[in-house]
Amino acid sequence: MIGKLIIEVIASALGTIGFSVLFGVPRRFYFNCALIGAIGWLVYKGALLLGAGMSLAVFLAAVFIVLASRFTAVNRQCPATIFLIAGIFPLVPGAQIYWAAYYLVTNQFDSALSSGFTALKVMIAIVLGIVFVFEIPYKVFAIARPRKKAK
Amino acid sequence: MVLTKDAGRIYNVFICCDCLLKGRAWAVENRESVTACPCDEARVLDVAMEAGHILLQNGAEISRVEETMDRICRHYGVESGDFFVLSNGIFTTGGRQKEGSFAHVRHIPVTGARLDKVVAVNQLSREISEGQYDDIETVAEKLRQIDEMPDKKEWKQIVASGMGSGFFCVLAGGGVLDCTAACIAGILLYVYVLFIGKPYLNKIVRNIFGGMLVVLICLGCYRAGVGHNLSHMISGAIMPLVPGVAFTNGIRDIADGDYISGAVRMLDAILVFVSIAIGVGVMFSIYNGLTGGIML
Repeated sequence: MIGKLIIEVIASALGTIGFSVLFGVPRRFYFNCALIGAIGWLVYKGALLLGAGMSLAVFLAAVFIVLASRFTAVNRQCPATIFLIAGIFPLVPGAQIYWAAYYLVTNQFDSALSSGFTALKVMIAIVLGIVFVFEIPYKVFAIARPRKKAK
Repeated sequence: MVLTKDAGRIYNVFICCDCLLKGRAWAVENRESVTACPCDEARVLDVAMEAGHILLQNGAEISRVEETMDRICRHYGVESGDFFVLSNGIFTTGGRQKEGSFAHVRHIPVTGARLDKVVAVNQLSREISEGQYDDIETVAEKLRQIDEMPDKKEWKQIVASGMGSGFFCVLAGGGVLDCTAACIAGILLYVYVLFIGKPYLNKIVRNIFGGMLVVLICLGCYRAGVGHNLSHMISGAIMPLVPGVAFTNGIRDIADGDYISGAVRMLDAILVFVSIAIGVGVMFSIYNGLTGGIML
């Protein structure tokens, strides 16, 4: 159980690096991206294990990812987007989209609808996670600002 | 640099070589300090536009584009710059009181995402605010360099795609063989995207074919005995097609109140999602028709 979780977290980190490369994230940020991807998956799986529903788990994971992205962005002095996009990737409901298409083709409309709506719910959870955390004012994150050299 | 004395106050004024050689004089009243030659105002707006163009084209949020353009203008003493940024165009006007008038509309097609360029422009804008560049031409040159930053090598992107697909298959619950198949599918998918999809096909067709290709390769692997859970393989392997940048930026733009741009980007993302699903569905139908039975 724990072993599987560890493997998944590592896979999440490495997979996130893969997508960071595809989106042209500069090499010096790969480690931060991987860390955020891993945190996101850890929170998601942790919430599921504690009995949360899928949407709630995704929402919590999204919140943690955006928080981590914003702190990292302030600390590394770069746009939060680059961490956010890579970090959100493991949560995107690729499997649900696939199942929805599969059921649709095989004429299992009830299942198609249910997969489609699950995908939609997950998307909305991600959206809410992002929107809520971006409402937090910049000041809160300023504590992560790197120390400036005395002039 | 020329000192101008005007009504008992002394101003520091930067004057460009051109103006200096031609002996042009500029009235500088009502300005505490000027860091650019007044004839450069149009040039400043032009450079700000260029920065905005690079940001918007490579996947920055609307608010960032506006803020960066504004920051550049203010720093070089152009107070009258106004910008209206949409997801595929920038409208700029300048000119009030003593500043020369300027108007420019630029269409910016929606293309891929190169976050390294966004990071580079952001860094440049930060350095401008810190006052590291006195000359607008240095900034223009830097922007040109950023715009011409080479893409990552094709093989790197292809390997990254394989890596992403393989590891995301683990997250979907796949075993070692499933992940190997997903990795192969991810690699071949990106070969297709780079050499056929991006140069020749539009977004909808590219993603439909992409979805079909993923299912085809996964079915091939499945029949050949590599991997035993088709759904895990496919949900890992379609990830490189997923429009992460459009989706995330769409949300952020809507959250910022840039509804038009946010809606356009979300539409872009939804279009891609639907295209992928259609591609997956079509390929399954074909397979179903050929084998005439339940496929899993």
